[in-house]
Amino acid sequence: MHRYPHWPIHLILGTVSILMLIPFVWVLKTSLTGENIFSYPPAILPQNPHLYYYVDVWYTIPFFRYLVNSVIVSAMVVAANIVFNAMAGYALSREFLGKRTIIMLFLSCMMIPFQVTIIPAYLITKQLGLLNSHLGMALPVCSTIVCIFVFKASFDAVPSSLVDAARIDGLSDWGIILKIMLPLSTSAVATNVILAFIWSWNNFLWPLIIIRDQDMQTLPLGLSRFLTVVEGTTGALYAFCVMVLLPGLVIFLLAQKEFIAGLTKGAAKG
Amino acid sequence: MPLWSFLANRYTITFGGIAFLAAAWNLYVVLNDDGILAGRVVGPDNRPVPSAIVVLAEKTLLVTSPRARATTDAEGRFRFSGHTLYHFYLEAYKEGVGRMQAKEFRLYFKGQNMTLRGPLRLQESKPAGVMP
Repeated sequence: MHRYPHWPIHLILGTVSILMLIPFVWVLKTSLTGENIFSYPPAILPQNPHLYYYVDVWYTIPFFRYLVNSVIVSAMVVAANIVFNAMAGYALSREFLGKRTIIMLFLSCMMIPFQVTIIPAYLITKQLGLLNSHLGMALPVCSTIVCIFVFKASFDAVPSSLVDAARIDGLSDWGIILKIMLPLSTSAVATNVILAFIWSWNNFLWPLIIIRDQDMQTLPLGLSRFLTVVEGTTGALYAFCVMVLLPGLVIFLLAQKEFIAGLTKGAAKG
Repeated sequence: MPLWSFLANRYTITFGGIAFLAAAWNLYVVLNDDGILAGRVVGPDNRPVPSAIVVLAEKTLLVTSPRARATTDAEGRFRFSGHTLYHFYLEAYKEGVGRMQAKEFRLYFKGQNMTLRGPLRLQESKPAGVMP
C-alpha cells in the first residue's frame, strides 16, 4: 500500500488551527493589556500584562451573583437534558406505530427558529408562574431535538440482544435506560452535557425577556449591562468576555473526547 | 477500590483544583485585607519630608473622589488603615516644599495591604505665570 507523507496535512491543519485561535488570543491579550484594538501595528505579544481589568469587572458589577445564576440555570438545563433526551432517545430507538411521523415532526421542528416561538413560550411560562425565576429561564432548553437524536443514534448502536436479555431478566424500561443504555452511551451523555451547558450558558434572548430583577440576571445579561456602564474601557470589557467564556471552555476541554465520539457515533450506520 | 483511584480523573482534579485555588485565594484575602497602605514622602532632594499631606482618592471607572488624608511623620512616613479601595490615586504636597501630582495605584482586592515600593517624590512647584 502506498503511504503518503503526513506532514503536509499536519502543516495545513496546524496553520488553520492557529488562524482560528487568533481571535481568542486577541481577546485574551486585550484583557491583559487594555490595548486599543485599532492600534497599528498590533503587538503580537502582550506589553506589560496585568490582571487589574479582571478586578475591575469583579467589583463594577455583581459578577458573582450573575455567575451563580448562570451556574444554577445551566445545571438545571444539563440535568433536564440528560433525563428528558435519554427518555425520548430511548423511545425513538424502539419500534412503534407512527415512529416515522414523530421523527419527521421532530426534524421539521428543528427548522423553526426560537424567535418564532418566543410569544407562546412566554405565555406558557407566565401561566406556570415561572417568570423571573431560574426554572423559567431553564424551561425552553430543558430538551433539545439535536440532543435527542444524539441519544437515539447512541442507543441504536447498542445490540438489541443486550436489551432483550435485560428484558428477560425482568428489567423495566427505566431500568434498561439507567443500567444498560446510559452506561454504554457515555459519549452521548458528554455531548448532551456540553451542548446543553453551552446553549444555556450563552442564552441571552430568553433571559432578557423573562427576567425583571437585576439579581436574577445571568452572565450574558450582565455583559450587556456592563457595556452600558463602562463603554470606554476595552480591557475590562474583554476581561469580562474571557470570564464568561472560561467555564464553557473548561467543560468542553474536559469532555471533548467523548463529545467528538458522541457526535460521530451512528454517522457510519447505513 | 481505594478512594484515590476513584477520585483520580480529570473532572475531580480540575474542579477540585479550582476549588482549592479559590479557597487558598480567599484565605489570602482574609489575611491581607486590613486596608493598610504605607509609604514615604521625600522632597526633590530625596530627603524625607515631615508634615506633608498625603491624599488618598478613590478611582472608580467613572469618577475620582478624595477618601482620606494622612500627615507624614518626622521620617516622612505615612500610613492609612481601614481603606476598602482597589483602584485609587495618591497625591502629596507640602507648602513651601512642593507637590506630587496624583499617581495611580491598583490592587487585586478591596482593602489589600500595601507598602509602596518607592517613595512619593515632591517636585518643586513653579511660581504661577513663569514660563519654563
